[in-house]
Amino acid sequence: MSQPRVVISGLGFITSIGNSHKCVSESLRFMRSGIESIEFISGVKLPITLAGTVKGFDTHAATWAGWLWPHGYNFSRDSLRTMPPHGLYALCATEQMVADAKLSPAELASDETALFCSSGGSPKLLRQYLNQIIDSNGQRVSPASIVSTIAGTLNFNLSAHYHIRGAVAGFSSACASTTQALGYGFDEIRLGRHKRVIVVGAEEVGLEATYGFHGMRALSRQCDPLQASRPFDKKRDGFVATGGSVALVLEDIETAIKRGAPIYAEVLGWGQAGDGHNPAISDPEGLGLATAMKRALKAAQLEPGLIDYVNAHATSTPAGDASEAKALKSVFTSSGANPKISSTKALTGHGLSMSGVMETAFCALALKEAFMPASANITELDPVCEGLRIIQSTQNIAARYILKNSSGFGGSNVSLVLGKAEF
Amino acid sequence: MITAEQAHKNIEESLVGFPQEITEAYLTFATKADLACLDKVVIGILQFYLAKAPKVPLAEMPGTTRLREDLGMDSLTMMDTVFMVEGLLSIKLEDQDLVELVTLDNLRRLIRSRFSGLVNTQP
Repeated sequence: MSQPRVVISGLGFITSIGNSHKCVSESLRFMRSGIESIEFISGVKLPITLAGTVKGFDTHAATWAGWLWPHGYNFSRDSLRTMPPHGLYALCATEQMVADAKLSPAELASDETALFCSSGGSPKLLRQYLNQIIDSNGQRVSPASIVSTIAGTLNFNLSAHYHIRGAVAGFSSACASTTQALGYGFDEIRLGRHKRVIVVGAEEVGLEATYGFHGMRALSRQCDPLQASRPFDKKRDGFVATGGSVALVLEDIETAIKRGAPIYAEVLGWGQAGDGHNPAISDPEGLGLATAMKRALKAAQLEPGLIDYVNAHATSTPAGDASEAKALKSVFTSSGANPKISSTKALTGHGLSMSGVMETAFCALALKEAFMPASANITELDPVCEGLRIIQSTQNIAARYILKNSSGFGGSNVSLVLGKAEF
Repeated sequence: MITAEQAHKNIEESLVGFPQEITEAYLTFATKADLACLDKVVIGILQFYLAKAPKVPLAEMPGTTRLREDLGMDSLTMMDTVFMVEGLLSIKLEDQDLVELVTLDNLRRLIRSRFSGLVNTQP
């Protein structure tokens, strides 16, 4: 018996470049940035002034009771009371995905539906709860202080909200997390364990979730949104953080077609490998990422020359982008292949654990709508990229095969191969 | 008792998103020591924090309505309610007080007992 083919059959977006499929697609095509100035500490001038902000939401209030979100979403207090702010983004993105995929409540509340999530948890809420505990000498401890703050908060809350009875799991490999979730989700369907796997990533952006990266000198100190996030540029000086949420459903193709769901792309294979190098810095030669790409291509049974476009992980850090450039050369250039390459983080900012599912969803849009998003903000290409075809304007060309890279702390490297769905 | 100034500050900082009738009742209690308004505040906060909104407003339910069995109050609703009531009214509720809470009237009496210097402490 042949293994099921796996497709992407629903998408939902709450991102810095748009809160809908249409808006995100337009932002990618027209290279609209989602990055703007923010105050990490009110009234205090800090060296980091930019972020990929989430528009249309207000989650500054201490509790869900005071949060605001765009019209069109109706959530009960039962679903919100143990949610962190980025859980609200995740709920909205997942609602979009459910509507897009035409999934019924019964299909969601099934043991054939799995849920894989990732986030960095909610340092904002954690700080709030810890302050409450300390200020009250341990007398005020909210029962929500664990489930709404730790890294698994999305899977805890979303599985309860949708009554999901298949596998429920969280992934914690930093910026490789949701790409890894997509890979394992693909395996679950291929192995016949589930008909569908929902993958959700979400992150907050703000002082508590973001500013620690400044200590690592990983954040750009630029003040101009059009110069701050510039992957592969010679003068790049760090990433710009972004928040939001993206939800995506992987499904076996027959189930998706039978339901009339939109088929965005087919997932053809994936691969992963570690760097074994450093807790926070990529292997300088990109060895782990190169192995991940080779494994993904082998799993997809594709030669490097068949890949039309690579959506790079490149976050705009000097070390990370150089490492990825070398990995790309070792896989593609050395075999005579020359795919188009870009990093959409120039427009969105870096969504940390969410970035993998967000950018895979961008690739799914690109395959379905026949374009390739560009790498914005490059004024002088880093010489380390010489020989790589980094595209700096949108290509209105249909790709047949796309490779998506992600790399996380500790040298977790994941690559995913997508193809135009043919059925 | 809390002052009107404190009450306004609490409304701005803590009652964001709460129904207007709760903030109005809270302000009236703070300025006029009206215990009926105190009941409205306490029961309104509980209703707001219940996981599932009741079909009938709690204020219209019998005082013998059981918090856990009839209203589905869980530890999260209990603690959210207690923290909010303590903060708004500048009182402290002991764990033992909470263990003994069974009905809506128990809750009303407990909170009124902290303002026993005011008239008419029976709900």
